[in-house]
Amino acid sequence: MPISVGRQRALTRLNYAFLLAVVVAVAAILTAAMTLQYANRELPCPLCLLERVALFGICFGALANFRHGFSYRNTGYSLLFAVLLLVVSVRQTLLDIYPRPGHAYIGSAIFGIHMPVWSIIIAVAVLAAYAVKLAILGGDAFLRDADLEAFPRIKRTADAIGLYVIALAAVNFVSVVLQCGLGECHTFGYRLLGG
Amino acid sequence: MVATFATLLAALVASRLERTRLAAWLIVSTFALAVGLFLYEIYSPDYGFRMPWIQTELERSGEPDASRG
Repeated sequence: MPISVGRQRALTRLNYAFLLAVVVAVAAILTAAMTLQYANRELPCPLCLLERVALFGICFGALANFRHGFSYRNTGYSLLFAVLLLVVSVRQTLLDIYPRPGHAYIGSAIFGIHMPVWSIIIAVAVLAAYAVKLAILGGDAFLRDADLEAFPRIKRTADAIGLYVIALAAVNFVSVVLQCGLGECHTFGYRLLGG
Repeated sequence: MVATFATLLAALVASRLERTRLAAWLIVSTFALAVGLFLYEIYSPDYGFRMPWIQTELERSGEPDASRG
């Protein structure tokens, strides 16, 4: 059944708003994790860092739609990293679920839940959100043909949040260099700062 | 870990600069590095990839398990 031009425009706006919401939510989660790291001096464990990589990967897939036009390949990148986030966080939860020497949840609990368990919730939420979006919007061609310039407010916001995500990734990169050097990562201190 | 974050940052910057092909290669490299690092981190010389601390043994009581449907 053909869709009217007005409805196509509304669905395209919904598609871009969804992608923007994904980036904003993930950027907020990364900001909270980094704030806890620097404010409470909680160094992230290696699997925690890999969870951050997966979160940035989800952002990459969503942001690419605002730079190169909408593509389901970008959806694929986001879903791939969401699955990575799920696998890493489930394994980390199983590592720490049974208390034993040298293995316990690292860092602060938020609402009684630690980062790896939150990561499972986040990964499932991202996968569910994409599933719902695909069920509602489907694979219609008008999404790929849509011009982002028709939605200037969304475009400006996406530009700004894209720069913010790059800044977060740059700070994380410097932080990882200081914490791990060129070797394995530990949570004892920042290796290059003599920690 | 540094290499993973370096390729990730490069992928985000390349995407920002609309270098689509380069960004795609870099994000796929990031994914591959992250998977490799994950497997390295969870491998134990003692247990391999197993998780013996959460494995349980069935009690050999001889009685049929009432919980099974």
